[in-house]
Amino acid sequence: MRKITILSISFIVLGILLFVYRMFNKPHTDVLNTKATVEMTAIELFTYFDTNEDSATIKYSDQIIVVSGVLHSKDLSNELEPQILIKTNEDDGFIRCGFKPKPEYLNNINSLKESSTIKVKGICKGLNGDDDLELLSDKDVVLSSSILIE
Amino acid sequence: MKKTIIYSLLFTIATAFTTHSGGIYKTNTGNINFYSHTPVEDITADNHKVKTAFSAENGKIQFSCLIKDFEFKKALMQEHFNENYMESTTYPKATFDGTISSISTIDLGKDGTYTSTVVGKLTIKDVTKDVTTLGTFTVKNGLVNAKATFNLNPYDYNVSIPKMVAPKISDSIKISIDIDYTHQH
Repeated sequence: MRKITILSISFIVLGILLFVYRMFNKPHTDVLNTKATVEMTAIELFTYFDTNEDSATIKYSDQIIVVSGVLHSKDLSNELEPQILIKTNEDDGFIRCGFKPKPEYLNNINSLKESSTIKVKGICKGLNGDDDLELLSDKDVVLSSSILIE
Repeated sequence: MKKTIIYSLLFTIATAFTTHSGGIYKTNTGNINFYSHTPVEDITADNHKVKTAFSAENGKIQFSCLIKDFEFKKALMQEHFNENYMESTTYPKATFDGTISSISTIDLGKDGTYTSTVVGKLTIKDVTKDVTTLGTFTVKNGLVNAKATFNLNPYDYNVSIPKMVAPKISDSIKISIDIDYTHQH
């Protein structure tokens, strides 16, 4: 009887330790294999944030979103995170998609043609840019850990 | 008269192509790293999409970065940082509005390394504090790399850290900035 009790307690403790270990080392969100919460156009996403940033931040930040739109440009100036910009309906407003610096992602970005229609899946981080900072009045809705779908 | 006009035109064109001493220098892909060291644990995170610009005319320099865009090695740390400490849905951005004090001594048309004090106001979680640091500006082929480091105390910015994890988080967090600016106009 005593043996069974000790064995049971050992299993419970082991289970708790395993749970804590797995929680502490849980991986980052796997964008490729996680279903997107919502799919929309770049214009729609930008308009949500531009119209009501607070509400859009609550609704969309940290969500996996699929965004479609016309490629404005590639920004490979930071080798730690290659980026692309998707056009919106504003001249100084974009969806900025950051990619992990993996060779296959870089190849995909390099093969994109400007003004082509693309679809990107990524984790929405919010709207960067500030009306109170006159040098930074242009705005980007930022996606991270992005992958190109089309 | 005709000669003067031609010389003026040639001078203007030559100036436009040889120096970028005026205008705005900007990037949306700047790097900011923060590092917390304690005997219990080291914590570090990076943001590679920092929006920043400075004016070569008056030295005004500004930064804006999304708190949620800081990436940690461990997902759980990132989650706690955003949800418990920074409340990044309520306070999504950190901004800096300041001045490069010695902008007139930095020759943006000539390759070289220059230093200047940068002073300004850093806003995190709606708390604004004065910050002064030394910036190093390296000009090479018309591009400007800026580097700076300074330390901040999270408690100064209303970052509340539960007692249980307080020994793991330093009260002097090192902020490192590494930005490659390009000339805009």
